[in-house]
Amino acid sequence: MSAATQQPKAPPGPEGTRGTGSLLRSELLRFATRRFIQVLLGLAVLGWLGAIGIGLLSFDHPTAADYAAAEANYEQALDADEQWREDCAEAAGQPTADFCGPPLQVEDFLTVQPFDLGSTAIPGAMSAAAGAAVLAFLVGATWIGAEWSNRSIVALLFWVPNRLKVMGAKLGVLAIAAAVIGLAAQAAWLAMAWILDAAAGSGRELADGFWSELLAAQGRAVLLTVLVALLGFGLANLTRNTGAALGIAFVYFAILEGMLRAFIGMAAERWSLMVNTVALVLPGGTRIYDWDAAYTAEPPSYLVTNLHGGLVVGVYAAVIVGIGVWLFARRDLQ
Amino acid sequence: MPAVEMVGVSKTYRRRGGQPFRALDDLHMTVASGGVHGLLGPNGSGKTTSIRVLLGLVRPDPGAGGMLLLDRPVPAELPGVIADVGALVETPLFSPGLSGRMNLRLLAEAAGVPRSRIEECLELVDLRDRAGDRFKGYSLGMKQRLGIAAALLKAPRLLILDEPSNGLDPAGIRDVRELVRRLGHDGRTTVLVSSHLLSEVQQMCDSVTILARGRQVASGPVSEVLSRAGSGDVRVTVPDPAAAAAVLAAAGYSVSPAPDGQVLVHGAPAPGAITRVLAERGHYVEELVRVTPDLESAFLAITGGQA
Repeated sequence: MSAATQQPKAPPGPEGTRGTGSLLRSELLRFATRRFIQVLLGLAVLGWLGAIGIGLLSFDHPTAADYAAAEANYEQALDADEQWREDCAEAAGQPTADFCGPPLQVEDFLTVQPFDLGSTAIPGAMSAAAGAAVLAFLVGATWIGAEWSNRSIVALLFWVPNRLKVMGAKLGVLAIAAAVIGLAAQAAWLAMAWILDAAAGSGRELADGFWSELLAAQGRAVLLTVLVALLGFGLANLTRNTGAALGIAFVYFAILEGMLRAFIGMAAERWSLMVNTVALVLPGGTRIYDWDAAYTAEPPSYLVTNLHGGLVVGVYAAVIVGIGVWLFARRDLQ
Repeated sequence: MPAVEMVGVSKTYRRRGGQPFRALDDLHMTVASGGVHGLLGPNGSGKTTSIRVLLGLVRPDPGAGGMLLLDRPVPAELPGVIADVGALVETPLFSPGLSGRMNLRLLAEAAGVPRSRIEECLELVDLRDRAGDRFKGYSLGMKQRLGIAAALLKAPRLLILDEPSNGLDPAGIRDVRELVRRLGHDGRTTVLVSSHLLSEVQQMCDSVTILARGRQVASGPVSEVLSRAGSGDVRVTVPDPAAAAAVLAAAGYSVSPAPDGQVLVHGAPAPGAITRVLAERGHYVEELVRVTPDLESAFLAITGGQA
């Protein structure tokens, strides 16, 4: 080792004093340099590019020949459809359109469809929200899971012994990153929709309130991304392992929710994570039905609103993160 | 002002389904400011636990006991004093996918240490050429050196190194020893170093605390601890060892022959008296040396051979 360099007589920094450290800045830098997170984000970008490619191949302006073929198929199906609608209305005892859906149109038989922004924007934003939520869960879990795996979080305590401050900085960085991921996902969907609309748009006029409804749904999608990232973080922090957090999530969604729904029914669904996640982002929330109850026309139902969904998912995230932080603040660290 | 003070600190680990384990048992330890202080003890004696308790990683048992780091009570004021304390506890803990330099930068950013200091510390541990490599590619010795560099980043007034020679080759061990001695005598830094290598502590440290079963069993300057555990033996060189041995035996000393024609006098509290007894009978002493036990002997004697 070099003998040339000596320990300074005073702490390093301007005029012998240390500068003001920024734990948040340091953690942001740590987050940005995390290789697995970089890989996940890179894969997400590749997926987006792939989706644009598939969209460009799937949508197109129909030609006169396409319309002629659709017209022929429509004529063939028309008689059978009218008969079915009459039978349907008679059985239901209600006006046909209310219960049996709208009548067939020539456009329904087009094999080549143009991209319709008005009808696709909300479902697309929901898909982007789902993708961003899965990505955010993985990022949140690996962000803290890797820290426990290599125990660098313990090393950080030699520098910042306030454990709540350390955990707060990590949560803050994750919340910022998840919000950016959520925003980027929604921006990516808008960009993709613009590309598809420019290449193969239907040209139909957008309904009144289209943008306000879409932007509100996208805003809720960003909130969902942050909450799901915190859920991933909380689970990995409790188990101190990324893989265990993913395993718990899988068992919950694949097995536990189904069992609760089967045994408890709608009461369980009202508080289930999946239902409330969907309710948070879908415009107007989501309605759940009690299919086991006795009913004639329609089973009893309950509307899970956006607010209900947000509060339930938020409480789940707060409890799971809170327990992990509380244990981190109290436990001995080896 | 002591750099470290622990008064009546205890720590009990409670294991699920097992007996509680008392890692620290009413531990008292004082490390004076300046110099290099060794923390010595067999495995499970409480060396690492005492360091962890000082650094706030492990909570001491509630109740009696108190601790000071650089004259400030901890853990209550640990956030205020940590900027002056550098530590390497057991194995270095870094992100494996990041370079050594980036790992140091992450720590430096958190504490407001300027980037130039990172290069200084890398230079100090001779790691500058490999600082751009990923941590997971480092050898054990390089990881240890990076850990020491991280501990030095803050230019700490108190440097705590837990087994700093782990994984180092002989040249690396010598370098760490020189570095620790240099830091300990720079007039600013106090070094607390734990080690199971007794010879290392003897060569590196000015003072030492010996632990056994979570308690302090000896403490003080290394020479003092050695003499306390010493036998009081004196090795005498004379022209006629057999005759001199007979004279000393007749005078009441316990003697035995030693290699190279010397006489070993056991338990002699005043070596000067030996010279006088022999001179009165015409045996003139050529050399008289008090036999100093090495730290290993002292350690085994003090801890009752628990090592």
